[in-house]
Amino acid sequence: MVDLKEVTQAVGDLDENKLMEILNGFVSENPTEEEALKVVNACQNGMAIVGELFEKEEYFVGDLIFSGELLMEAIKILKPLIGSSSTAKVGSIVLGTAHGDIHDIGKNIFKSMSEAVGFKVYDLGIDQPVSAFVEKIKEVNPNIVGMSGVLTLALESMKETVDEIKRAGLKENVKIIIGGNPVTKEACNFIGADAFTTNAAEGVRICQGWVK
Amino acid sequence: MPDTKALQQERNSIYEDLFNNKIPKRVPINIGLPFEPIAQYGGLDLASAQWNPALVEEAADKICQVLFSDSCPFGGSIRYPSYYQSLESQSFVMGSNGFIQHPEVVGMLPEDYDYLIEKPYDCLLERVLPKQYKALKLDDPFIMAINFAKSIMAYQNDTMQAGMIIAKLKEKYGYYSGADRRSGGFTEAPFDFLADQLRGFREISMDVRRMPEKVAEACEALYPIVLKKGMPSAVDNNAAVFLPLHMPTFMREKDFAKLWWPSFKRMIDEYASMGIHCQLFCEDNWTRYLDYLYELPTDTRLMFEYGDPKLIKEKLGKKHIITGLYPVTMLKTHTKEQCLDKAREMLDVLAPGGKYFFSTDKNPLTIKDIKLENYCAVTEYIRDNGVYSNAGETAGLAFNRDDYKVDPSASRKLESKYYRTWENYKAQNPKVSDLGESKLQGFEEMIFQYLMFLLL
Ligand code: B12
Repeated sequence: MVDLKEVTQAVGDLDENKLMEILNGFVSENPTEEEALKVVNACQNGMAIVGELFEKEEYFVGDLIFSGELLMEAIKILKPLIGSSSTAKVGSIVLGTAHGDIHDIGKNIFKSMSEAVGFKVYDLGIDQPVSAFVEKIKEVNPNIVGMSGVLTLALESMKETVDEIKRAGLKENVKIIIGGNPVTKEACNFIGADAFTTNAAEGVRICQGWVK
Repeated sequence: MPDTKALQQERNSIYEDLFNNKIPKRVPINIGLPFEPIAQYGGLDLASAQWNPALVEEAADKICQVLFSDSCPFGGSIRYPSYYQSLESQSFVMGSNGFIQHPEVVGMLPEDYDYLIEKPYDCLLERVLPKQYKALKLDDPFIMAINFAKSIMAYQNDTMQAGMIIAKLKEKYGYYSGADRRSGGFTEAPFDFLADQLRGFREISMDVRRMPEKVAEACEALYPIVLKKGMPSAVDNNAAVFLPLHMPTFMREKDFAKLWWPSFKRMIDEYASMGIHCQLFCEDNWTRYLDYLYELPTDTRLMFEYGDPKLIKEKLGKKHIITGLYPVTMLKTHTKEQCLDKAREMLDVLAPGGKYFFSTDKNPLTIKDIKLENYCAVTEYIRDNGVYSNAGETAGLAFNRDDYKVDPSASRKLESKYYRTWENYKAQNPKVSDLGESKLQGFEEMIFQYLMFLLL
């Protein structure tokens, strides 16, 4: 069995070579599913370190993007060992970029960070019409709806989306969080969301608070 | 209309002072609304209006009547569908709502680095452009030639149409006449050029960690190309080369200092050594890089998106010309009083000592992004209150081109069979008269400019 602390540290340091070396060595030893799940968990803890360093302004967006890629690669290596059994989810999020906006770097960062702490994320993608959010909420009944947007016009799109979620009678059951560059407290009030952030790590904490 | 003439003179003189290290009579107001909100304001259908920029004239004229600005608020667009569509662009496409969308497309693969480093311009033309522009069909040369010719003509046509509207409005409303058109320019930092349309924002973040040496070499390889792309054909102290700055706030300082800054700094110094100024759009929050910005040539124009105006003014205000920072989203989400309070705060902090002109932190994209009456109130407030009592005094540090020396041998030269100098051309066509130079070489330059514009 590998040293889990080392795995966590390699992810936290964004040390790709080291991480791959450890994981490939681990896989070649025919580990059990339970062991593999522990390693996945260790990777996820590494993501928490990345998030902390981001908040301390030691890491920046480029590093978050890279960490998302690292995690994806790690999961790709470990997935065959895990089979269908998955770890218990702490909650679920329907996530997408509001219509008219095709930026998704921020959204994807929030996605990999919230998956790392155990959320099930239904990612709708970019430029998502109001109806896509509404349909998905009806289908999967999530705890949280996350909307991303970096264009100023996305504020209007987010408002339309929240209005429609309310009109469809779905607001009672979900919390709505919005994120992205132009989002402010006033914009959040205007849109009618429950929370806003321009920092993915903070967003994850807010979501964790909601499902406690 | 003598009033208009007098107003234009006043406007010209406040800009003139701003750019010449003097305290102007009042703070110049630089409003530029993109094509889309103006078309929407005129009730035009975006999807069709962009095919005929002349249609927007009436709407632009109406905006001029309601929104005060010292520069012409209509600046046209740099993204019309005619030329992108005739090249089947992948990186600029019209969305269903009529907006030109710029999706992220990877134009260059990691394995192309070596060729880019060896023959940068050849790599851009042979590998990157055909990937981003599907009508540049390498296996169908005549179709390719026709598509390209159509596109460049469309570009000239549309730019000229918009240019004519701007010229008319400047005359009619007495806007700042601006510097000679040939003395401006548009380009990117070498690293940003590599990041934007070649590797993409996501991929470049991988490259920085996986192959930093290649990234550094690629920046060197691209240096002469982006330098030339921005190079004006005439020098004018009032003009500037515009560079939007993209990646630094995404990077760790360590990576920034090693990979982003050196080639960029050299480029701005090289322009300065020729008496050319730059206007930099410091996108996002540059607080942690203010000391670097201080090192740039005096009177560099810095437009900021976010950051603490006070700190920015303190650190940079004596040396550089500051603008931006007024949050455009406030114009939508706040009351008129709150918007005016913010305007007062901007003036209090940024105006003292000159070297400041007013603009918002970014442009609104649609007319719904702002409450127009708030915007009008804000610019009128700046006009009436941004008045100096010490006009004519020296503002701060003075620019002197001789302070900037760049060793030409420090940079690579543009060498490619796809770009011919007049000497090359003459060698191949010995009978050509030098009377043909300005024309033929002018077209050579135009084509270079257009090809690289397609990757900006
Ligand atoms: C990268 C970028 C692009 C890339 C996008 C690549 C991609 N796959 O996303 C490309 C080149 C494709 C692009 C295209 C365009 N862009 Co752009 N782009 C940017 C840039 C440089 C960075 C945006 C970004 O990714 N930031 C980094 C991320 C990580 O930040 P973030 O989104 O805020 O996310 C963080 C948090 O907010 C949070 N978060 C984000 N989402 C969510 C969601 C939830 C639920 C939570 C909890 C948290 C959260 O987590 C992240 C990490 O902390 C900005 C400039 C800037 N300063 O932001 C311009 C910018 C956003 N773009 C702009 C423009 C104009 C465009 C175009 C319209 C250009 C055009 N004419 O085609 C097109 C967009 C077309 C369209 N319809 O969307 C303007 C917008 C101006 C305005 N008024 O809104 C900007 C501001 C540039 C500028 N200063 O003028 N762009």
